Amino acid sequence: MPQHAPRTGARASQSRLAQRPARWKHWLPALLFLSPAIVGLVLFRLVPIVWAFVLSFTDWRIFDDIVWVGFDNYIHILSSPVARQVLGNTLWFTAMYVPGVVVLSVSLAVVLNNGLRSSAFFRGAFFLPYITATVAITLAWRWIFSTRFGLLNHLLDMVGLQGQAWLADPAWALPAVAIVSIWKDAGFYMILLIAGLQTIDPGYYEAARIDGARPFRRFYAITLPLLSRSLFFVLILALIRSTQTFEITYALTNGGPNRASTTLAFYIYQNAFVHFEMGYAAALAYLLCFAIGLVTLLNFWLRKRWVHE
Amino acid sequence: MTTKRSALRAFGLKPALCAFGMFAGAMPAAAQDTTLTYMLWSPEQVEIEAPAIAAFESAHPGVTVKVQAMPPADYWPRVSAQAASGDLPDVMAMSSGFVQEWAAAGNLLDLSPYIGDSALDGYFTSAVNIGNIGGAQVAFPQNWVAPVLYYNSTAFDAAGVGYPNATWTWEDFRAAAEALTVDENADGTPEQYGYWVYGRYAHTDPWVFRNGGRYVTADGSALDITQPAVNALAFLASLVDDGFAPRPQELEGVRQQDVFGMGMAAMWVDGSWNIDNTRKLVGDTFEWGIAQVPMGPDATPETAAAYAWADMLAVTTDTEQADLAWAFVQHMTGPTLSAADFTAGKVPAWTATAETEQWLGRGQQPDNMELILEIGEQPLYTGFTRNWSDWRGYAAAGSGGLNGELDEVFNGRKPLSDALAAATAYGNDVLSR
Repeated sequence: MPQHAPRTGARASQSRLAQRPARWKHWLPALLFLSPAIVGLVLFRLVPIVWAFVLSFTDWRIFDDIVWVGFDNYIHILSSPVARQVLGNTLWFTAMYVPGVVVLSVSLAVVLNNGLRSSAFFRGAFFLPYITATVAITLAWRWIFSTRFGLLNHLLDMVGLQGQAWLADPAWALPAVAIVSIWKDAGFYMILLIAGLQTIDPGYYEAARIDGARPFRRFYAITLPLLSRSLFFVLILALIRSTQTFEITYALTNGGPNRASTTLAFYIYQNAFVHFEMGYAAALAYLLCFAIGLVTLLNFWLRKRWVHE
Repeated sequence: MTTKRSALRAFGLKPALCAFGMFAGAMPAAAQDTTLTYMLWSPEQVEIEAPAIAAFESAHPGVTVKVQAMPPADYWPRVSAQAASGDLPDVMAMSSGFVQEWAAAGNLLDLSPYIGDSALDGYFTSAVNIGNIGGAQVAFPQNWVAPVLYYNSTAFDAAGVGYPNATWTWEDFRAAAEALTVDENADGTPEQYGYWVYGRYAHTDPWVFRNGGRYVTADGSALDITQPAVNALAFLASLVDDGFAPRPQELEGVRQQDVFGMGMAAMWVDGSWNIDNTRKLVGDTFEWGIAQVPMGPDATPETAAAYAWADMLAVTTDTEQADLAWAFVQHMTGPTLSAADFTAGKVPAWTATAETEQWLGRGQQPDNMELILEIGEQPLYTGFTRNWSDWRGYAAAGSGGLNGELDEVFNGRKPLSDALAAATAYGNDVLSR
């Protein structure tokens, strides 16, 4: 009834006012307990993020004065042949790494999701490279890829194939970095996908078997659609990780030969901590951030078309 | 509850402490509890220098030297951050490759007013000059090194070739490299190459400077690769193309400093600091020696230069005890250090230490360490500029710059002219920033 509405509204308003101190009392302890984390987050994450953005418009060689240069760093990056080569390498690495690691981790997850006792051992074995020190495994791979004394060329020689200078040939250096990265990370994505596979009701597979569906048909019609949410998550992680490869590049090829395997994250490191071009490195980092954001948005937009909700 | 302050008052200690404070203020600086901070990039060196530092502390009662060391990859970012925050140590290790930009940034104290007329006596003058930037002595040498030609005497004897000497020409070198290239099983891959080279500064630049070549203009503001430099690099590339030296990619996976010691190449040019590693690696496997890099055909007395550089100590402008810091630098670079404090091949900046039998390594290979001292007496050229590591391609940036381009040449993938054009364009971009 209209004549009662204001009174009801006034009562509600009074009630809210009465609740306000109670809510404040409710939030205060939570805020106090969270404040160390919030202060840490603001000081050591948010402030550097904003400060790096400001720096990207400056010329700052760490101990020199900061000089405002506007968009000069961004213009230089887009016009520099070296920076363009690095951006191209990053795209090429992503094109190799993402499909490679997703296909391998899905294959491992499907094969090892069979409930056999031995699967636990193999899951551990495939996960091991992910938790092993990157430098240690990369040194082992350096020996495998060695031109004259490497295991890979020795095996190729045994079957009558010509060996390659895997780490010293511009055509092979970046694929070599991608192979090691895929090998190292596949175990991690495999674990995520196994968790996704275990949420699929086995009844679907039983029904499909009764209907005479073959393994590939079951994989294509049941596993992939029902795994698509986990796959989407893995795809986003792999895309972001592909743009951030650093340790393996550093220890395996040092970005060579002649920058053939230098990707954006490694180039940012070189500019920031070897040449101390902080402003330039910040601009590179923001270009990387922008690219990752764009690709992630694109993924979320495409999600509607292939992710089974 | 009695507070500390009231306790002091109660026991009449406050006036006593004040009196002690006045007394302490009147004492000479060295008698106070003073801490001198010292940073260096070699953690192994800390143990070596510990006795000398202890001796300095004994000679300066009340002074404690706080030493901090970290690997080079961490050292430069760390000290750069400290420079930005105005918190540099009193004394820091300084590299020949970085001294220009550190001096230009005003981080290094000009030691000239502290150095008396006689303070330089006893040091290698050429090594001292490396720390002299624009007339200001901003760093002082502790040791210095120079690239030398390593040669496998046993292989030379087997091939019937005379050992390298000061009269060798490039053609003598080429003939020796050819004679020393041995493919025993005729499979097309020599078991022993005559020479080993890639784009690294210590491999190529001695040839360039000994041919009178230069990469940069006299003021170091731009890259301008001279014809003698081009000729020297073309000579090295021809050795690879002719099969007397391996393509660098063929030896990928082998540490570059081990190629000679493993007997895979009979000659090699690199820094004298590799003598230590080569001694350990070769042992008694074969006989070896060192010689000077052959002089090039384009060199003139005015342009020919030996290549050498120094590891130095610098007093920073953040110090508040410059006199004490300079005393420490003198102590750590002078006669206090013995020959045992230097890795084989690193020459003590103090001449008398370098001339001792211990440093000359009598009874060990090579038997002619005096040769390095002779190099130190020659006119030196370093070619270092601001951002040298970037345009030259060094350490974590070693895959790029001139290093990366020359590797493309030595691997047979790029003509020398294209490589030098690309390196010049990149280098000038770096230097103009």
